Amino acid sequence: MRRGPIGRGRLASALLSAVTALILTGCSGLPTAREMGDMALLRTLGVDNSPAGVAVTGSTGPRARGLQGEGEAALTLEADRTSLGSACLAMQGQSDSYVFFGYVDQLLIGQTLAEEGIRPVLDYFARDSELGLGAQLWLVRGATAREAVAAGGDQGVDSRLETIRKDSEMGIANLTRTAGEVYTDLLEMGSAYVPALSPAGEGEAVLAEKGYAILKDETLVGFLEGEEAKGLELLAGGAEADILDMETDGEWVSVKITSARTGSDLSFQGDSLTGLKLRCRIEGRLSEYRQPLSVEELKKLQTAVEKREKTRLEGALEQLRAWGTDCTGLGARAAMTHPARWQGIQEDWPEWFSQVPVEVQVEVKIL
Amino acid sequence: MSKQSEANAPHPRKEPRIPGPLSLERLKEVFADCADFSKREVYLHGDSHRKATVCYIDGQARSERLNDYVLRPLAQDPMLATAPESELFDLMERGALYAHGCKRETEPDPVVMALINGSCALFLEGRDDCLVFPVATEEKRSVGEPENEPALKGARDSFVESLRTNTSLVRRRLRAPELKIRESIVGRQSLTPVDVLWLDGIADPDTVALLSRRLEDIDIDGVEAAGNLEEYLVDAAKSPFPLMPYTQRPDRFCQGLLEGRVGLLADGIPLGWLLPGTIDQFFKTGQDRAYHWLVASALSVIRWLCALITLLVPGLYIALVTFHPEAIPPKLALSIVAAKQEVPFSTIFEVLIMLLAFEVIQEAGLRLPGPIGATVSILGGLVVGNAAVEAHIVSPAVLIAVAIAGVAGYTQPSQDFGNALRLWRFLLAILASLGGLTGLALGCAGLIYHLAQLESFGVPYLAPFTTGTRVPRGHPSLFRLPLPAMKWRDGPIKTRNRRNQR
Repeated sequence: MRRGPIGRGRLASALLSAVTALILTGCSGLPTAREMGDMALLRTLGVDNSPAGVAVTGSTGPRARGLQGEGEAALTLEADRTSLGSACLAMQGQSDSYVFFGYVDQLLIGQTLAEEGIRPVLDYFARDSELGLGAQLWLVRGATAREAVAAGGDQGVDSRLETIRKDSEMGIANLTRTAGEVYTDLLEMGSAYVPALSPAGEGEAVLAEKGYAILKDETLVGFLEGEEAKGLELLAGGAEADILDMETDGEWVSVKITSARTGSDLSFQGDSLTGLKLRCRIEGRLSEYRQPLSVEELKKLQTAVEKREKTRLEGALEQLRAWGTDCTGLGARAAMTHPARWQGIQEDWPEWFSQVPVEVQVEVKIL
Repeated sequence: MSKQSEANAPHPRKEPRIPGPLSLERLKEVFADCADFSKREVYLHGDSHRKATVCYIDGQARSERLNDYVLRPLAQDPMLATAPESELFDLMERGALYAHGCKRETEPDPVVMALINGSCALFLEGRDDCLVFPVATEEKRSVGEPENEPALKGARDSFVESLRTNTSLVRRRLRAPELKIRESIVGRQSLTPVDVLWLDGIADPDTVALLSRRLEDIDIDGVEAAGNLEEYLVDAAKSPFPLMPYTQRPDRFCQGLLEGRVGLLADGIPLGWLLPGTIDQFFKTGQDRAYHWLVASALSVIRWLCALITLLVPGLYIALVTFHPEAIPPKLALSIVAAKQEVPFSTIFEVLIMLLAFEVIQEAGLRLPGPIGATVSILGGLVVGNAAVEAHIVSPAVLIAVAIAGVAGYTQPSQDFGNALRLWRFLLAILASLGGLTGLALGCAGLIYHLAQLESFGVPYLAPFTTGTRVPRGHPSLFRLPLPAMKWRDGPIKTRNRRNQR
């Protein structure tokens, strides 16, 4: 019941330990309080290179000024400085509010910056306490990130980009990548793919999907578009809601792809690598047709779909092999069954990937 | 010693309270200046040589009983006029008078106490001893419904102010002779009877002995409030958390006795305490065993969850909005930013002021009579709250956070426990406003440390969660298992018999 001298001693030692632990954490004082009402929450950040060094553009998206004043124009801040950090600091000074970077969900990288290397940008995002690597990463093709951010006008571009991301989750838009995923791929595999966008239309342009940008050793090596982009999605295991319009015996039939999975395996002869086998399993269903298909017609259709998907896969693979970029991690996935042998070829895998014979198998099941 | 220091020194208890031999004159001295002290002289069967004096306290004794059972036989029984004077007392003690009890007393202390409790004292001329007959009135509040613990599916009686009525309510439910009731008198001036109840063979005898000892050690003027017992029986001064769970409901009280706890009832207080008190007792309601076990379990989890909500929400709001805005989902952050625009005060100030306003409105509602109290609550809560938001004095998000915390607090079955949570809510909000989530986490750690060091009659307060491997555990505290599966009494309360069913 009553606390004796031992109890008091324990309490004192517990408090002492707590204070010591607090000091050891490196805390130099209490955290700083900031009022959210005075904050401008940046949602989109665009980064380009510029004569000064780096051009950074930030946009808040539509803002609310009090409960009755909803719908105020997005705040766009721009700064050109020698480094990303100094540009961000300069943006702080341009606003009458505290610019808060913790809500940056979309990161746009200009094509010219990507050609020079995006690693410094990702490094900065990884180190900054507010930014982090959770933002969606997009590469702006044929324009600067600043132009892409400006394309949103008063409403900003974050809602458009958020829509694309949600469409992607449902399989009806390009695959999306977070900055963290791209950063990890670059560090682990030396290459990565990033969805590409391009402002389309006059005046207040709309950001449209424009295939995928392929990065190798942190720099842009090229883009995959159209059928090749679809092939990349098949390799990466996406493209779930693709619709193929096929012609069988003069009739147009639509096949809706419901799932696609690509597995890879390495072939060895002794310890030497002899080939890479890819097996793509696709499931789909007939979505539109004029007359019910007979069994023979269905088999023909399956063969036609297999051929088309194989062409897509081979197209994407050919391009990726030419660049030496296994950005979908085919080698790493195949290595799961050959861990010891993989250690021997892992270092030189990009070269192996370009040279080793690839066998592609496609199995299509139409329900 | 000066008069002042003499008055400040502890007064020793006087034993006996009324010194000297017993006599009618002594009794008159004791009750001098007592307007309600009455005495009646009666000639035994009209014999003026044989005079009896009956003393009683007006209002404590019931007139009909006094008249019919004592005064009428004294005045009309011819045997009392003819019997030898030396045998009169024996005759009266053995049945000449009709009262159901009779005691011969020779000391003034028990006679005075008996008169105060409603008995009458009969003196015969020439004798210094007296006979005491119980003729007490039974005027008391009738047994009503438990207003603080309403029953939807269960017994509707509740404890009243009369101790003996309360013990009878318990005895009617637990008819086993193993139900033991030990009485102590507490309070120098109030002389309040306080009963300790337990089931012999189930309850821990050490707890019974400890409780009895602590009751004997209480040396106060009177027992007028529950705190007069609670704050003396447990070391309640160092913690706002209640250590003695209580109930108004006899059925719940009996359930506690069956679980092996020791009960405590005090005259004048319509409550029953169950000891030892562990934290899970404050989350249980009288309805837990009446509802289906799944429903009761879900409600129990909600109550625990609400305790966390009422404790943490204001602090969490301050910490997130002021120090860690990045942890708030973007859309919610945008709403908070919009709501916070044009509000002149800081979030910390807003939350603390709103918490304070909430307490003020609640206190004002409680102090006023029912209908006016409800009006004040509506006026304070709705009108002032709405006006404050519209005038941009406070942001709606703060109002919602404080209201959620307040309403969640009302789910606590124990008002005392809810009050302790309210106090800690303030403390955690202040800590969060100093150090954000770090401050809040430190506050929570402090709270756990505080709860972990509490004990109630030798049982850890957090016993349901913290008992070691050596102590047999009871059933889960967060859930109510199906009753056939609840075969064991709680281990930490050291019951003598752990199995409660076949």
